[in-house]
Amino acid sequence: MTRLHPFTLLAIAAALPALAWILPAPAGGLAMAVVALALALTTGVFRTAVFTAAPFWLFLLLLHDVPTTVAIGLRITTMVSSFVWVVAALPPPRLVEAMVAAGWSASAAYVFAATLSAVPVLRARAGRIADAQRCRGLSPRGGPVQRLRALRALATPLILSALHEVDERALALETRRLVPGTRRTPLAPPSDHAVERVTRWALAAACAAALAWRLR
Amino acid sequence: MTRLALERVTFRYPATEAPALLDVSLEVTGGEVVALVGSIGAGASTLLLVAADLAPRVVGGRLEGRVAFDGEGVRGIVLPTPWTQLSGMAFTVWDEVAFGPANLGLARDEITRRVDRAIARLGIEGLVSREPTTLSGGELQRVIIAGILAMQPGLLLLDEPTAELDPIGARSLWELVRALAREGTAILVATSDLDALPAVADRVAWLDRGRLQAIGSADLLGSEALVAASLGPTVANVWHGARLPSPYPVSVAQALQRWEQR
Repeated sequence: MTRLHPFTLLAIAAALPALAWILPAPAGGLAMAVVALALALTTGVFRTAVFTAAPFWLFLLLLHDVPTTVAIGLRITTMVSSFVWVVAALPPPRLVEAMVAAGWSASAAYVFAATLSAVPVLRARAGRIADAQRCRGLSPRGGPVQRLRALRALATPLILSALHEVDERALALETRRLVPGTRRTPLAPPSDHAVERVTRWALAAACAAALAWRLR
Repeated sequence: MTRLALERVTFRYPATEAPALLDVSLEVTGGEVVALVGSIGAGASTLLLVAADLAPRVVGGRLEGRVAFDGEGVRGIVLPTPWTQLSGMAFTVWDEVAFGPANLGLARDEITRRVDRAIARLGIEGLVSREPTTLSGGELQRVIIAGILAMQPGLLLLDEPTAELDPIGARSLWELVRALAREGTAILVATSDLDALPAVADRVAWLDRGRLQAIGSADLLGSEALVAASLGPTVANVWHGARLPSPYPVSVAQALQRWEQR
């Protein structure tokens, strides 16, 4: 699956949530959620997908009745699982190469790919900050107040350090000529087979057809 | 030939009134290594950002005066924190080094030639297949420098380039700096590796609180003023500590010669 062209992976990740919202609930949402979770399972991020989607179910249950919670919850689960899957399955460098080969400017491709790469980077940084705070005696265990305090001690340096790094990263990218309008030479553009191109169009057509059917 | 010229440059960072650089004039010619020395906050890093055309264009702030670059090649800057200089878009060290040349839109053959040469010059052939995020600080520093060299800069700006390197790595880097200068590259380097400068720098510029206090040959490092400001090499400090007369020697060879002449 990870060998598919990046645009195909993106098309799948976009089509699943789109169909989950377009098709009638709960069957449509359930079918798409099953597919998205299965994809997450194949890339080893099933637990991440489930744990990320779980809080949404809790909030929905507080706000809505059970049928509405199930209908929206399945759709959100599909969205979350699709995103988690595509982040795991699609290395940002491959996406940049594919976008550049397709004629996108390198800086536009970078912005798009950086969105995908931000999640694992921030997670790794959060882990390091949590370790550092533990060394200073902060315990993430205990009651809600203590956990909230621990969360603040984690979030503040995480956000500040990320902002600081953005500044330095911008300088580094600028000096290496990743500037607006750059026409980058693709170093290893991923191959894009006809079957994959047809698949992408088929996914788009399926979404359009489902929408037309629902609006009928 | 003058590659970079700063004329009466004053620079203020955004939302600050105190200038980080004040009325600085400096020229760097092709084939010359100019070293910037100074305490923390002296303005050396800011001067490099201005020379690289990153301040104020990217970092913001206000610039007065004139900065002229002759346009020979590109301007490449190596910042002191290698982990924030990774492109984040490379599977391997080879791809990381190729990031800049690819952004220049060069043909793939030319990119390959430049990248292989830069990798060989930094002695990182053994790392080419490694994922950049798994490298140590010193390895990463050399990869970042290779990435800049592969762009063939006419003006190379180095901010504490040996900060992450071990002594052997630092010595190799300084040899590379001299080799690049021999090939015509203009090099401006901010460093606290003062012991290395007499053998590396053609000229030394002393910055203090944003002002250019003095500029001259590497012997400037042995002046009373720089040694008093803790900006002299170890041998000068020893000479000073022994209450021997100034100007102090800046290298061991110079110290031996003076000692024998006493």
